[in-house]
Amino acid sequence: MSYNLGQPIGGAFQSPNDHKHHLGPMQRIEAPMRRYSPDEEVDYLIVGVGAGGGVLLQRLARGGFRVVGLEAGPFWDTERDWVSDEKGSHQLYWEDMRITGGANPLTFGANNSGKGVGGGTVHWAAFTPRFHPSDFEVYTRDGVGADWPISYWDLKPYYELLELEMPVAGPAWYPWGDPHGYAYGAHPMGGVGNVLIKGCTSLGIRVSAGGPVAILSGSRNDRPHCIYRGFCIQGCKVGAKASTLITHVPDAIANGAEIRARAMAKRIHLGKNNRVTGVSYLDREGREQFQKAKAVVICGYAIETPRLLLNSACNSYENGLANSSGTVGRYLMAQAGNVVLGRFDELVRMYKAPPAHALTEEFYETDPKRGFARGFAIQTVGPLPIAFAKQMMAARGAWGWGMRRVMMDYNHWAALGVLGEILPWPDNRVTLSDERDQFGIPIPQIRFSLHENDKKLIEFGKKKTEEVMLAAGATEIVQEARYAHLVGAARMGKDPATSVVDAYGRSHDIANLFICDGSILPTQGSANPGLTIQALAARTADYLISQGTKVFNSDQRDMTPPPIRRHLSPPGTHWKGVPRVA
Amino acid sequence: MKPNERQPPRDPRTHQPLPPCEQPGYYPGFSTLSQQSFWDAATRELVRKRVHDIPPLRFFTPNESKMMEAICAHFLPQDDRDDAHQIPILPFIDERLHQKRTPGYRFEDMPPDGEAYRLGLEAIEQMARANHDRSFLELSWREQDELLKSIHDGKPWPGAEEIWKRMPIYRYCGLVIGDCVEVYYAHPWAWDEIGFGGPAYPRAYFRLERGEPEPWEVEERRYEWLAPNESVSDPSEPEIATHKEHPPAGQGGTH
Repeated sequence: MSYNLGQPIGGAFQSPNDHKHHLGPMQRIEAPMRRYSPDEEVDYLIVGVGAGGGVLLQRLARGGFRVVGLEAGPFWDTERDWVSDEKGSHQLYWEDMRITGGANPLTFGANNSGKGVGGGTVHWAAFTPRFHPSDFEVYTRDGVGADWPISYWDLKPYYELLELEMPVAGPAWYPWGDPHGYAYGAHPMGGVGNVLIKGCTSLGIRVSAGGPVAILSGSRNDRPHCIYRGFCIQGCKVGAKASTLITHVPDAIANGAEIRARAMAKRIHLGKNNRVTGVSYLDREGREQFQKAKAVVICGYAIETPRLLLNSACNSYENGLANSSGTVGRYLMAQAGNVVLGRFDELVRMYKAPPAHALTEEFYETDPKRGFARGFAIQTVGPLPIAFAKQMMAARGAWGWGMRRVMMDYNHWAALGVLGEILPWPDNRVTLSDERDQFGIPIPQIRFSLHENDKKLIEFGKKKTEEVMLAAGATEIVQEARYAHLVGAARMGKDPATSVVDAYGRSHDIANLFICDGSILPTQGSANPGLTIQALAARTADYLISQGTKVFNSDQRDMTPPPIRRHLSPPGTHWKGVPRVA
Repeated sequence: MKPNERQPPRDPRTHQPLPPCEQPGYYPGFSTLSQQSFWDAATRELVRKRVHDIPPLRFFTPNESKMMEAICAHFLPQDDRDDAHQIPILPFIDERLHQKRTPGYRFEDMPPDGEAYRLGLEAIEQMARANHDRSFLELSWREQDELLKSIHDGKPWPGAEEIWKRMPIYRYCGLVIGDCVEVYYAHPWAWDEIGFGGPAYPRAYFRLERGEPEPWEVEERRYEWLAPNESVSDPSEPEIATHKEHPPAGQGGTH
C-alpha cells in the first residue's frame, strides 16, 4: 500500500514572492549593490567569481579596496533559478564549446566547470580534505612533478580559517597528512558511506566517515542544515552546502564590492610601462565594454585563465600575456576519477545523503613498494539516475533492454571513486583553436594524455577500490574510467623561466597582474582542490592588503610573508563551532 | 510504435509476452508526481513542463525523424509501457540539437553533434542496404537490433566504412545512447520505475541507511522477466567493457 502524506500544511510550497535576491531559503541580499562605471578606475578587477575569485573579492572589499568582479554567468537567485533535478541543472555548468583531445581526452561541463557566481563551488560535491605536507615538495621527495614555492605550513592557517568559514563538517580526529580535527560535527552515514566503511574496515584500512565536507550538519546563522536529498552537484537549494555564492559573496557586497554578472572577459589590455590597464568584456547585451583597473586578478580556473592570457597576446607578449616562460596553458592536470560500481543483494538507495560523505586517504603518499610515485584516495560518490545510466553504458556496455534491466536495479548499486594524483606534464595543455565562440573569442583546445606513472597509479587505485567494494559484499563490480577536477595551466613557482606566477599569484612578467584560482597549482595531490584554492585566495588577499597601494604604482616585488588577518572572515564564522584542533 | 509491432518482455515461466502496463519496475504504486506539492515551485514547474510540454521536431526532417524514432526504440525500448505511458525521447534530443546545446565539449575527432547524428543516420542506412538490400526502416525488428548491436560492439556491418573513418563509431554510439538515457531517466515515470525518490527539497530524506524507504516511498517487489525474443540487447552474461580499447570517458560529474 502506498503511503501519501497528502499536502503540506498550508498547501504546496511556493516560491517566496518578496522580490528579494535569495541565497538559500533564509539568506537574502538586503542592500543594493554598489555600482562602478566602466571608466571609473577600480583598484582590483577580478575576472571570475568562483572558488578563488569569491574569497578574494570578499577579503579585498573588507580590506577597503574598490573591487569589481566580472562573472561570465548569472548571479543566481537560488530559490528562483535552481531545481532539484539532474537534467534541469545544466545551466550551472560551463557548457560553452571546448575541443578536447589527446590520448585520454577530458570531458568538461558538468564534470568540472562551473558558470555563474560561485563558479564550480555551486556544483562541487564539497569534499574538502587538506593537501598533505608532502604535496608541496613532490619533486624533492620523489623526483617527479614540481615543488611548490610555499610549504604546507604557509597554507595551514588559511586551511583553518576556511574550514570555519565554509564551514567544513567532519570527524573530531582526521588521521592523514597533518592530523587535525573538525569543528563541525560529522554527517550521518548514507548507503554508500556504509559500503566504504564496511569494505575498508574488513581490509584493515582506516576510513573517515561523515566528512570532511563543506556541508552544514547543523544550522548556522542564516543557513539551514543538510536535508540529505543528494542533489549536491545540481546546486544546493537548501543552502547547506558551501559555495562562495552563499559564504563569501554576500559579505563582499555588504562591504562595497560590485559583481557584474553575465560579463564575459575577452582581453586584458597592456598599457605603458609593462602594466595592465583593465579588461575588455562583453556585457549581458553582447556589447563590448572596457573596465579600467589599477590591477587585474584572473580567477577563471584551469581552462579559462590560460585562454584569456593566450587571447591577450600583444606586441610585447606575442605568445600570450605573462607568458614569457612559455608555460601558460601547460602542466594542466585532472585527477584520476575512476568510478567502481558494485551491486549488492540488499538495497542501498545511493541517491540519499550527499554524494560526498566518507573517504580514505590511506594510499595517499608514495609507497616505493607499489612501483609508482604518489598515490590516491577512495571516496564515496552517489550518482543520480542519469549519471548512473551513463556509467552503466560506459562500464558495462549497457543498452536497450540491458539498460532498462540494470536501471531497474539502480537501488542495489553503490559507487566508490578513486581520486588519484596525475602528475603535471608540459604536453597536457590548453591552446587556442581556429574556431570561435558566440562572442568571437577563440575556442580553447585541450590535449590530455596519461604518462607511465599515471597509468600505473590508476591501475593500482582501481584494483584497490575494487577490493574494497568486494570486501563490502558486492556480488558484481564494474568500473568506469574518468577524470575529476582541473588544476594547473598557469602554475606558480620560484623560477620565472618555468612558471607563470610567484608564491602570491603575481605574474612574473607583469607586476599588476595576478592569478588566483586552481590554475596556479604546481601539483594536485589526491585531495579535492576546492579548499586549497580558497585557502590560497585568502593568503593572496592578506598579501595584497599588506602591500597596500604599492601594487598600483610600483613594480617592486616584496616577498615578505603577510600577517594572518583573522578579522577578515565573514561575520559569525570565526571562533564558531567547537575547535578540536590537534 | 503500433501495438501489433510491440516486442514486449516475456514471462520466464511461460515465455509469453508480459502485457504492457502503466508502470514497469519493482516499485508498484510508487509515484514521485504524487509528492510534488512537497517540492519547491521551480522544480515542480520544470517537471510539469517536461511531462506536458513536448517540444516540436525542428532539427530532424520527417524522414530522419522516422528513422531516429526507430533507433531510439532499440537503444531505449519501451514496449513494456502501455501507450499512455510511453516516455517521449526524440523530441528532447531534437530540441537539444535545434538549440545547439552542447555538454561543454566536443572530441577533436568528432564533428559537431548535429552533424554526427546525420552522419550516423547515413551510415545506418548504408549498412542496411549493403547487407539486406533494404532500407533500415524495412528491416525486421531483429535485423534492426542486430545492426545497432554491431555499432554498439564497435564491429559494424560493412557498408559505411567511409563514415566510420570520419567519426569514431564508439563515440557516435556513446553520443546517441547517452542522449537517450538522459531523456528517459529525467522523466518522473522512469523515477517511479527504478524507485528513485526524486526531488526532495524542502521536505528532506531521513531514512538514509540500509536502503530503507521514506514513508512515501515503497518497498521493492521484484519479478523476473526476459527480454523480448527478437531483442539482442540484454545478454544473459553482460558483455562488460565492450570497447576495451576505447572505453567512453565518463561524462558526468560525480566527485
